[in-house]
Amino acid sequence: MKQLSGFLVIGIALGLHPGLAQTTTAPVMTDHAAARFLDQAAWGPTPAAIAQLQQMGINNWLTAQFALNTSDLPDQPQIDSTTGKPNRNLTPVQSAFFQNTVAGQDQLRQRVAFALSEIWVVSAVTTKDAYAFPPYWRLFRDNAFGNYRDIMTALTLSPAMGDYLNMANNNKGNATTGTSANENYARELMQLFTIGLTQLNPDGSPTLDSSNNPVPTYSQSVITDTARALTGWTYPTAPGAKARANNPAYYMGQMFAVEAEHDTTAKSIIGGGNIPAGQTAQQDLTSVFDALMKQPTMAPFVSRQLIQHLVTSDPSPAYIKRVSSVFTDNGSGVRGDMKAVITAILTDPEARAADDAGATPNPTFGHMREPVLFLSTILRGLNATLGPANGIYASANELGQDLFYPETVFSYFSPLYSLESGQPAPEFQIYSTQTAADRADAVNTALYGAFDKTTKIDLTPFVQNGSDVSALVDYISYVFDHHSMSSDLQQAAAGAANAATGADAAAKALAQVRAALYVVLTSSEYQIVQ
Amino acid sequence: MFSRRGFIRIGAASVGTLALRPFGLLPALAQSGPDYRALVCVFLYGGNDSNNTIIPMDSYTAYQSIRGSLGLATSALTPVTSATGAPYGFHTLLTELASMFTAKELAVVANVGSLVAPITQAQYQAAKAPIPLNLFSHADQQQQWATSMAQGNSPTGWGGRLADYVASQNLNSSSFPTFLSMAGNALEGVGVKTQQGAVAPGQSMQLAGFNSSAASQARLSALTNLLTLNSGVSLTQAANSTLSNSIADAKALGQALSQSTPLKTQFPTTTLGAQLQQVAQIIQVQASLGMRRQIFFCSLGSFDTHTGELGTLNTLYPELSQSMSAFYDATVELGVAQNVTAFTESDFNRTFQPTSGDGSDHAWGGHHVVLGGAVQGGRIFGAFPTFELGGPDDTDVRGRWIPTTSIDQYGATLCSWFGVPSAALPMIFPNLPNFSSQNLGFLG
Repeated sequence: MKQLSGFLVIGIALGLHPGLAQTTTAPVMTDHAAARFLDQAAWGPTPAAIAQLQQMGINNWLTAQFALNTSDLPDQPQIDSTTGKPNRNLTPVQSAFFQNTVAGQDQLRQRVAFALSEIWVVSAVTTKDAYAFPPYWRLFRDNAFGNYRDIMTALTLSPAMGDYLNMANNNKGNATTGTSANENYARELMQLFTIGLTQLNPDGSPTLDSSNNPVPTYSQSVITDTARALTGWTYPTAPGAKARANNPAYYMGQMFAVEAEHDTTAKSIIGGGNIPAGQTAQQDLTSVFDALMKQPTMAPFVSRQLIQHLVTSDPSPAYIKRVSSVFTDNGSGVRGDMKAVITAILTDPEARAADDAGATPNPTFGHMREPVLFLSTILRGLNATLGPANGIYASANELGQDLFYPETVFSYFSPLYSLESGQPAPEFQIYSTQTAADRADAVNTALYGAFDKTTKIDLTPFVQNGSDVSALVDYISYVFDHHSMSSDLQQAAAGAANAATGADAAAKALAQVRAALYVVLTSSEYQIVQ
Repeated sequence: MFSRRGFIRIGAASVGTLALRPFGLLPALAQSGPDYRALVCVFLYGGNDSNNTIIPMDSYTAYQSIRGSLGLATSALTPVTSATGAPYGFHTLLTELASMFTAKELAVVANVGSLVAPITQAQYQAAKAPIPLNLFSHADQQQQWATSMAQGNSPTGWGGRLADYVASQNLNSSSFPTFLSMAGNALEGVGVKTQQGAVAPGQSMQLAGFNSSAASQARLSALTNLLTLNSGVSLTQAANSTLSNSIADAKALGQALSQSTPLKTQFPTTTLGAQLQQVAQIIQVQASLGMRRQIFFCSLGSFDTHTGELGTLNTLYPELSQSMSAFYDATVELGVAQNVTAFTESDFNRTFQPTSGDGSDHAWGGHHVVLGGAVQGGRIFGAFPTFELGGPDDTDVRGRWIPTTSIDQYGATLCSWFGVPSAALPMIFPNLPNFSSQNLGFLG
């Protein structure tokens, strides 16, 4: 790999098309197939990443990526040293997130972790302490290629989640004061994180009863009882503090059980299971997790959402079923093996069908780049370098995705959102007449302005590979459009480039690069990952 | 998050000599024709605990004993008297709303919720009547408020179907969207024939970076021409459609707003304040836009108060009250108070019984406010539930009220005032015929 990247640097320095520089080794994959894959499994292609994948092939690339864990987010102070108040400034964390997407080596881990964070949502809208977020994020990063049960355990006992959905300090009901156990976490654990509202067949279709009505996964009484099963957990004890039954919020480490606040009566939980009276908080938690992991609905429920985040908004029932079956059993009898699930998603025939450039594309395949992905792929393609105080998060916010601040527990957009036609299109929920214009303006900022003082893009490779307009458009297609740009878009980009002017040849060449890139990156063809 | 965006910039800079989708608008002074109507929805996301919005003081003893840590002392309530002489108390931080109630500019509709048809407690508990899909779930109950389809799975919203009706009657003389959201895409505004627009207060919709040079215009033409071509990819076509609408809407709004004068009414510098200020600014130029009917959608979040509820409401209620009050004042300033009706929606009400963390859980029927010059103000419409856990209005034992008024009835009353004849209402509210009263009487 080291050798290869050195080779590429030479290729670029000579002004050669990196794709052409590859000709000494027979490519395992075409430019087109490699770039497509990197839009699904990474934060978008770069010439170096395309070449690396071509050399390694998908299986070796996946193996290498599964082993990488290189990107971190910086821990934040609890107290703002200037005001003495709790530190709620998340911007260093948001900035670091974008540095990682652009430059981090563990691209697949980051993509999967981000997808998981859009399922297991904690939002800084209400969980405001900045120092809560790096440890919360590491749970996804470190468990992304583990088992789904590990993710469930880690997030359930995460103090950030404990705060956001009130599992922390959820005391048992008190007849004297007339209170009941808080139902919030019990409800969303089942509805959003594990099984959803309706029983599903392995292909993702709803299970129907004899009257053709969908079968609910649980009733209100199951929620009430599960809420009672999950009582009796509190925040970790802060260093130097005395442990209490209801600790104040503290976000490092894991929540722990306080048996005095745990409801020890019997409960009826998911799947008709019964929890006997007298169990501890940990035993009840294990009983709930055991019951959830046994639900056949979990496999299609989770698989479909991961497919939507990585590959396509509207996977076929057969695609969901193939991934579900791997979720249910990785081949060694293990349920919830994330490496196997991610491999199944990315290597599925439906995901790979359009790798053959000659194949007729499925007109409903693909998904819209959400703003975080849109900005990251543009920055990577434009050879950007980002400083630790970069302001890319502000652009993402303008585009409708305020990183770490999703408006509700339903995340930035809902997996259930559809176009008017009924076609599932989750990311379109935040693509409005307003944010459509904002996307074009972000491209304008990238090419003609600056996102901030520390974010630098480098258009040199585009100038060097754009000896004429047609070569320029071809190179842009290679970097940004899977080397399969439509002829309409090629003509539009070329038209804009041909009209560009400059005081001298160098200025004109740069103006042509910018004009062509503007047209491509603002096009709807680019917004959609096919 | 609003602070990250500057001041309202729409109309501040026009894109010059762009040749975009023509609107055929003649310059006109902003003035309200006699036949202008606007509906303004304020959606309270997360499920507002409207048990603490307004309290019938005749039931205060039961209220105080059951609500425990969530109970408001009488000193924390602003007393009002309804038209029938009955005493009520508004949360004291809703002081502007209370004043509007007394001034007969605001009415309360009690115990409204998602229903397929009227349902009794016995029917609910025995599941002997249609029960709304996935009660107590945020996503589903938000959808049912937006669509008025308690059975679930409606691809269109009632505001979108209302916009379709407006289009079918040619009530607006431009292609500017009838349904305009200040809060991003809204299911409520999804129609069959019409497409909603979205404006973020403080963000420009005019494409940045163009001037009148030939190179710049060629680049813009490249962008706009692409929007007219068929890629054969459905998601690409959908994105094209949205960006095309965006460019057209920006042009129309830019033209109209460039001729307007600033509003004198001061709005609070809050998220909802900015949204409602933007609505008022657009209402100001409705004639220039060629609009006789408009539906606006705004939202305020963070009402999911499972813990620490009183403190959260102490932050949210002043924002709600001051923003809606300023909005009403702006409609008075513009001389359209009689022509504009604002109303609240929310996922659901919350359990009357508190949680162990001084909050409340998801419930069902809740209380809503309607305000405007045409509102039969100072009155309570519908009936408050009996404050008793496991009592006659409870689904179970935690005080989740079974609604006695449906979203369909609430919406149909608004739409009747908007000008939809009775015969057309079931097109917008398919479940409406299941209810005996189709007009609750809170408007005109």
